[in-house]
Amino acid sequence: MKHALALMTLVLLCPRPALPQHLPTPERHRRGLWGEFGFGPGYVRIACSGCTDVVGTTGGTSYLRIGGVISRNVVIGFELFSLLDNAFGFTPQDSAGATAETGTAAIIILWYPGRHGLYFKGGVGAAFGQFSIPADSGSGGTVVADTSTGGGMGLTFGVGWDIAISRKFALTANAASFVTALGDVVTGNRHVDDVIASMYNISIGLTIR
Amino acid sequence: MTAPLIAILLAVQFDTTPRPVMAVGQTVLINVFVNRVDAWAFQQDWARTGTRAWSRNLRMGWEWDEDAFPTNMFAHPYHGALYFNSGRANGLDYFRSVPLAFFGSWSWENFGETYRPSLNDWFMTSFGGITLGEVFHRVGATIRDNRAGGMTRFLREVAALPVDPIGGLNRLIRGEWTARGANPPEHDPKDFVLRLGAGARFARRFSRDQNVMTTGTFLLDLLYGDQVGQPYTGPFDVFNVRLVLTDYGGLNALRASGRLFGANLNNPHGRNRHMLAINQRYDFYKNPAQSVGGQSVEIGINSRWPIGSKGYAIRTAVFGDGVLLGAIDAPGTGLGERNYDFGPGVGARWEFALERHGARFLRVFSQLEYIHAVSGASADHLVDFGGIEAAFPIARGLGLAASSTVFGRTSRYSDGRPRDQRDYPEARLMLIWWKIGFGQ
Repeated sequence: MKHALALMTLVLLCPRPALPQHLPTPERHRRGLWGEFGFGPGYVRIACSGCTDVVGTTGGTSYLRIGGVISRNVVIGFELFSLLDNAFGFTPQDSAGATAETGTAAIIILWYPGRHGLYFKGGVGAAFGQFSIPADSGSGGTVVADTSTGGGMGLTFGVGWDIAISRKFALTANAASFVTALGDVVTGNRHVDDVIASMYNISIGLTIR
Repeated sequence: MTAPLIAILLAVQFDTTPRPVMAVGQTVLINVFVNRVDAWAFQQDWARTGTRAWSRNLRMGWEWDEDAFPTNMFAHPYHGALYFNSGRANGLDYFRSVPLAFFGSWSWENFGETYRPSLNDWFMTSFGGITLGEVFHRVGATIRDNRAGGMTRFLREVAALPVDPIGGLNRLIRGEWTARGANPPEHDPKDFVLRLGAGARFARRFSRDQNVMTTGTFLLDLLYGDQVGQPYTGPFDVFNVRLVLTDYGGLNALRASGRLFGANLNNPHGRNRHMLAINQRYDFYKNPAQSVGGQSVEIGINSRWPIGSKGYAIRTAVFGDGVLLGAIDAPGTGLGERNYDFGPGVGARWEFALERHGARFLRVFSQLEYIHAVSGASADHLVDFGGIEAAFPIARGLGLAASSTVFGRTSRYSDGRPRDQRDYPEARLMLIWWKIGFGQ
């Protein structure tokens, strides 16, 4: 009895947080199956083993995401991201007309730390790159491009904000970085070892949620 | 009644409130401490960083480094575990501690060294640090006992330091080395199997070699939780670790695999059990003929079929995996002083085991991994690893264990070099001691 009284006293003395009568139900940022696509400018920086310097250029980026919900604050998705530039070169002396498309196909997690639309993104997956550099003219006078592809893995991190425009739709602002390891790239008689493409982009997208 | 009352009062001393600012601060502090020790105590030029080096690193970005295999594949993941556990030791859960591993490694690569940041380091430190960090955090919590006192308590705290130094130091600062209270949930995995073994290892450098090399070997096997018996409660609620040491080359193998997600595939109260699992995996194998390792995520099914009523059962596992970044040596591979390749890949493994009360006494397994090199040679590597293990009880908690494994590797080069193939057979004979807490 003495112990029971002591326990009751302890329970009564323990401070308890005041609970509001009507707790607001936190809004889910995205529900069920959601999708998102968007565009924006980007910057790519190419480094390779044995290269004395890195080269960088700007280009257009686009992305497509589709996913589901893990919890009230965390969603999971699959993201396709691509950066295309028309002034690519492995060295600053490379001729104009070269093109490069680099991208990732990644599993991503979006974490919404609060009730607002701010989220942080992290992801990992496969990476790809396709590089074309104009070479000799073909028999018909057309320019033949040396094209090479590379594949490997990529990481992505970013931050974004969902701006609700209705219950079903949101405009989404993104800033993200992508680091992709593409392996060796062979164009013409040139062998470029261990290419790493780092991409940065800002974009605006439409989210269906 | 008195005992629970005291427990409630004392538990207050073990504050589990998340302290994210403290966690980030400790991550930065780890980098500053390691950098200054290297610069001041070891006089390392690469540690004498400054704004010029930071600016160049940020401008130039990632490259591949040429460090030795154990440095990249073990030391860096261990370093990453310190970052991760600065979060776990400050009340953050698994997922909230993950960014700390990436942040700690990224900031070290850019600001902690004069060298350009290394992409393989970022991968291995972050992903390996998360896997080893969570394993170390839970093993540390199991070794420590908040209810113990006196010399036993002190020795437990000291014993946990090598696996979870950040957790131990945080506890020391907070006075938790002596305070008594309730243990965290991860202290007691409910089901576990611990095996320690020592004996001889017989190996040939290649199958065709006639000379058999005999060395000493030590084995630690830990099964924490039951892959099919326990419902999923959170990341690494179930994991397994295998550590193999030899007196020829030291660390021979370290493998850790923890459940990130699990779901019942049939009636959880049924006799036969099948569970879907997504595991995060860390692999490190190094022997005189092969070096291979990496960070992976695997998905598959664990099953258990009981036989009779005396605790016997068949266990199977079938998994497919994606290698986020692996490393493997082969002739002509590597970059500069580095003699191995880095690359992502895919693979699969299966396992068949006979067990009693959770302890496997016969195990047959095989694993196949494909690695596409993105740094080093222009090559694709195929790794296969398989074998059989058996354990025979000779007394309560003691037994003899024998195993035979073959480690094979085939490398195909795109630059016209001939295909290279090698395999590495080995056998072990050990005296083992085990402790089992299963189905209790």
